[in-house]
Amino acid sequence: MKAKKQDLEKLFSPSSIAVIGASRDPKSVGYGVLKSLVRGCVLSSEYCKSFPGKVYPVNPKADYVLGIKCYSQIKDVPGEVDLAVISVPAKVVPLVLKDCGKKKIPFAIIISAGFAEVGGEGEKLQNEVLKIAEKYGMRLVGPNCLGIIRPNKNLNASFAPTMPPEGPVGFISQSGALADSIIDWAVAERYGLSAVISYGNKADLDVHDFIEFLAADPQTKAIALYVEGLKDGNRFIEVCKKVSKTKPIIVLKAGRTSAGEKAISSHTGSLAGSYEIYKAAFRQAGVIQADTVEELFDLAKALAYQPPCRENAVAIVTNGGGCGVLCADSCEELGVNVVELKESTLKKLDKSGKMHPAYSRRNPLDIIGDALPERYEVAVNTLLDEDYIHGLIVIQTLQTMTDPKEDALRVIQAQKKFPGKPILCTYMGGLYSKQGGRLLEENDIPDFNDLKKAARAMKVLIERGRLLKKK
Amino acid sequence: MTALMQKMIETEKAFGILKRFSVLYAEWKIAKKPEQAARFAAKIGFPVAMKIISKKVVHKSDVGGVKVDLKNEKEVAAAFDEITKSAKEKIKAKPEGILVQKMESGREVIIGLKRDPQFGAVVMFGLGGVFVEVMKDVSFRIAPLTKDDCIEMIEEIKGYPILKGARGQASVNINALVKILMAVSSIGLKNKKITEIDLNPVIVNEKSAVVVDARIISEK
Repeated sequence: MKAKKQDLEKLFSPSSIAVIGASRDPKSVGYGVLKSLVRGCVLSSEYCKSFPGKVYPVNPKADYVLGIKCYSQIKDVPGEVDLAVISVPAKVVPLVLKDCGKKKIPFAIIISAGFAEVGGEGEKLQNEVLKIAEKYGMRLVGPNCLGIIRPNKNLNASFAPTMPPEGPVGFISQSGALADSIIDWAVAERYGLSAVISYGNKADLDVHDFIEFLAADPQTKAIALYVEGLKDGNRFIEVCKKVSKTKPIIVLKAGRTSAGEKAISSHTGSLAGSYEIYKAAFRQAGVIQADTVEELFDLAKALAYQPPCRENAVAIVTNGGGCGVLCADSCEELGVNVVELKESTLKKLDKSGKMHPAYSRRNPLDIIGDALPERYEVAVNTLLDEDYIHGLIVIQTLQTMTDPKEDALRVIQAQKKFPGKPILCTYMGGLYSKQGGRLLEENDIPDFNDLKKAARAMKVLIERGRLLKKK
Repeated sequence: MTALMQKMIETEKAFGILKRFSVLYAEWKIAKKPEQAARFAAKIGFPVAMKIISKKVVHKSDVGGVKVDLKNEKEVAAAFDEITKSAKEKIKAKPEGILVQKMESGREVIIGLKRDPQFGAVVMFGLGGVFVEVMKDVSFRIAPLTKDDCIEMIEEIKGYPILKGARGQASVNINALVKILMAVSSIGLKNKKITEIDLNPVIVNEKSAVVVDARIISEK
């Protein structure tokens, strides 16, 4: 049953949800879940909207919670229920789940903790819960998870603090706490997410099931994973191998420094630490690896918004010589090829009449500090128009005559003209530079606050280009 | 699985497994007497290497059990006696025999297999000798391996330029290495009891890749 592709549509687009354990106590998880559904979130943000479907609180001790009629048992709920979100104490979960099964609810998210993660009795309890689910043909998320969020469906079936903006990155996290913080960060950074899925103990539905779902979801353009361990490594490889041909998958793996198994008696045994093997598995599956949380979302952003770089041949445009060199250094360290500019390209730049007499005449193309938007426009378009240049990094430092917004607009126009070539920007600075940076990002051009990050993002766009050519 | 439940497969059997999977190895024979060793060496051609065969020995060179670059029958016979003498002193036992093997020339690489609790059979590739011991310059892939996986894992190690032929030297036969990697992947998938393999060294040159020593560990 697990090897088959899952139809998780009703889990991610339910019409009706029962909140089992909906409490009146504002400090309880059950209250948080109910509020997240009926108001969109607990802590308000501009992205919070009420769930448009039906919500049924279930709690034998209350008549109303948050002004909504409460049912004392799930069987009392009128009509069909697509999804149950359960936050009652662990030992009550089997009982509640049985009732859900009898009611023919196809999906349940078990938020409650106290299962396999505590070992012993908890493990037994988890097996019991799994058996009940199998008996009734119910699919489970969790237990011990945060829940799921889909901003574009106004679905917040979780106790996450708030609702993130919608966008093209699907985030699947083994840690609920990390997901919480990412959501808060995403609101501040306006980082668009198609889904946040916290899968906890993965008693039933596992990371590869969610990857398959996001692979088929048209809003998701890149899949970001936070993984601690895998239950079925070979199935993960199989699914990712297939999915990575159509959508990029980026992973952050925790536990990279674990000593792995004890060496036995061979070289291979002692050298094959568990992270080394994970790394190999990710590579074989076409999964891109990030080293930090920030990098995970940086790379996901680049991959979600920009096309792959078809050849390893990029150019850098900058109005600051030093920044251009720093960026080229990072490119070289990462194996990103900063191509030599052809004489014919320089002629075109000369002919434009917009270049400063002292412009660098080489890659990185330093168009000098006094560059106005017209000079950026000529440089960016001339380079993108060359068939030997396949990607562009645009650097802007802030000088008195610099116009971040107008510069951004010129880059945005250039991308429309050359949609097949990736553009990444580093608008260096803060308050004023950010005005341009925001405009870029609103128009799907990633702006990184650091040169090396842009180089690293270009590197994965090149890797992506290479991977797509392989098939 | 604990180390106690595992055993090392005897040299002869280990090479037998390689033969079944069409892996080339350096010609060898186990001699019981000095004259026998000398005769065999003459037959396969000099220089030869000699190694102690004994269940009591894990690291052959630690007990004076390895002699290399022996150029004639006289040297082979003398080496036989030296190894036997050294074994008597260091492990207080007579070796079960002494392996006489043709010496190959080329680059040393290591090809290995390990069974991972999460992913199953995992294949390793690296440059041999000091590179694997000190630099840990190795790459891994999960079995089954495709030809592309093998090429990638060879190219992935930092020492790849050494194999590719630095400073005007010709490239080693990469395809011969690919064949051994694929064979090790198949051995791992078909023999579930094998827990670890070390083909160390494998000598590769422009023409071929040949296994010189094979250490295979299996469940009891």
